[in-house]
Amino acid sequence: MAIANLPIIDCDIHPSATRENPVDPFVPTDFKEAIRQGMSGQPGAGYVNPFGVQRRDARCDDPYETARDHLDKYGITYGVLQPPGMKVGLIHQLDVGSAMARAWNDWQINTWLATDKRFLGSVCINPNDPDAAVKEIYRVGKHVQMVQINLSGEAQDLYGHRRYFPIWQACQDLNLPVCLHPGYEGSLNSVTPIGRPSTYFEWHTVIPLTFQAHLVSMVLEGAFEKFKNLKLVLCEGGIAWLCHTIWRMDKNFKALRAATPWLKRAPSEYVFEHLRLTTQPLEEPEKPEQILQIFDMIHAERTIMFATDFPHWDFDDPAKVFPKKMSEDLKQRIYYKTAAELYGLRVEAPALPEPLLAAGLPAR
Amino acid sequence: MSKDTDPLPINTGYGPENGPIDYAFKIITEAAPPKARTNGQLVVCASSELPPGQKRIVNEGSLSIGVFNVGGTFHAIKNVCPHQGAPLCEGSVHATHAPSDVNEFDPCLHGRIVRCPWHGWEFDVVTGKGLYDATSRVATYACEVDADGDVVVLI
Repeated sequence: MAIANLPIIDCDIHPSATRENPVDPFVPTDFKEAIRQGMSGQPGAGYVNPFGVQRRDARCDDPYETARDHLDKYGITYGVLQPPGMKVGLIHQLDVGSAMARAWNDWQINTWLATDKRFLGSVCINPNDPDAAVKEIYRVGKHVQMVQINLSGEAQDLYGHRRYFPIWQACQDLNLPVCLHPGYEGSLNSVTPIGRPSTYFEWHTVIPLTFQAHLVSMVLEGAFEKFKNLKLVLCEGGIAWLCHTIWRMDKNFKALRAATPWLKRAPSEYVFEHLRLTTQPLEEPEKPEQILQIFDMIHAERTIMFATDFPHWDFDDPAKVFPKKMSEDLKQRIYYKTAAELYGLRVEAPALPEPLLAAGLPAR
Repeated sequence: MSKDTDPLPINTGYGPENGPIDYAFKIITEAAPPKARTNGQLVVCASSELPPGQKRIVNEGSLSIGVFNVGGTFHAIKNVCPHQGAPLCEGSVHATHAPSDVNEFDPCLHGRIVRCPWHGWEFDVVTGKGLYDATSRVATYACEVDADGDVVVLI
């Protein structure tokens, strides 16, 4: 209600555009498509695939349907879930982040894990509150279907920083690997060391930088010396960069060992022992068999585990993704044996239909 | 589904007893002194001209040897880095850090470690052992002070 005889100037009113009063007619034509594809890069908007992150022909929001449409369809013995809760470390209020971690874990257990024994869960934790994170690891980490800890690649510090050591202690005590997954890089810091990319395309291409940094940090700060049974999984971050990283670390180690005297062996030895990478999205070199050279350089029989990233836009089909020349032994290691060892899983080879057995064909 | 499993064993050769750096430091403490290979010897200089902490390089034909005074005793190693043939003994001489717990530093081998000038790789001038792996070794030569008070290398 107006104040008698007193003019008012209001300095802050917020109008919105609506369907009835849209802003679109006023956007210049040469920028209409860029804005429609979500390339306006507004701060806080994150990086989103302008064509959609999810496949149009698949969904993964119902455990019964996913068990049928994905696990049954491809003959998958176990599927490890990468839940949305990996991002709770981005919430500024610590207790809200920790509460959301608990919620995502209870959701996994009561919906997905309870539905089908083939689903294996990842424990979400808030890494910014190590005490709460350790409590949560002990609360749900012993569930027989929880097989690892889940963290975003985006973090306040590189994961070799000693503030995270209590968390790695709990992981080691419960025999749970720690799995990093990308998706929120650029939320707290830039995804690159220098500046912020303009597009999702740039962002998605350089995500492996974060994993490279975390790996080097964990190796050289001695996380794998202090926690000799700790295992690290880098999921969906690509593979070929590992060659360069281990070679450069090893070469530097020969000069700089005295700066990290807790390292008792070459950095690459820690990597082969403690690190696992998942295959998706697998690089597709000019000659398909060149990926086998990469596998050779990084001891793929020890370090690589298969993944589809179902139902995202860069899905790897199990039957189509590897070159034909890959050896049977390596296939078995990558498709299931390495993951079975890492997560402590019993796996029997799937039974073949009888006509194929009679023909003497080997199991996949 | 059970979490117990028959783990498929992989012999990684990974265990504390196989640590290459621990092994390197073991060699340094246990290596036998170098022996003369021929009857030849190189005279380096008067021992008074090579005080503790100093080094001298002597050449005879294609043979180049670095002689170090470590706390009063003389030691000699080949002046060729096994990595890429750099003049190893032209590098600087240091202490180093022994293998230790995470975030601890344990200085040791004061005045015994030469860092190759090209890439900084560390070698113990007493045993010739490289500190960065299990197998690297630079040739060592017996070194003594003769009756005239000269430092000589037995090659």
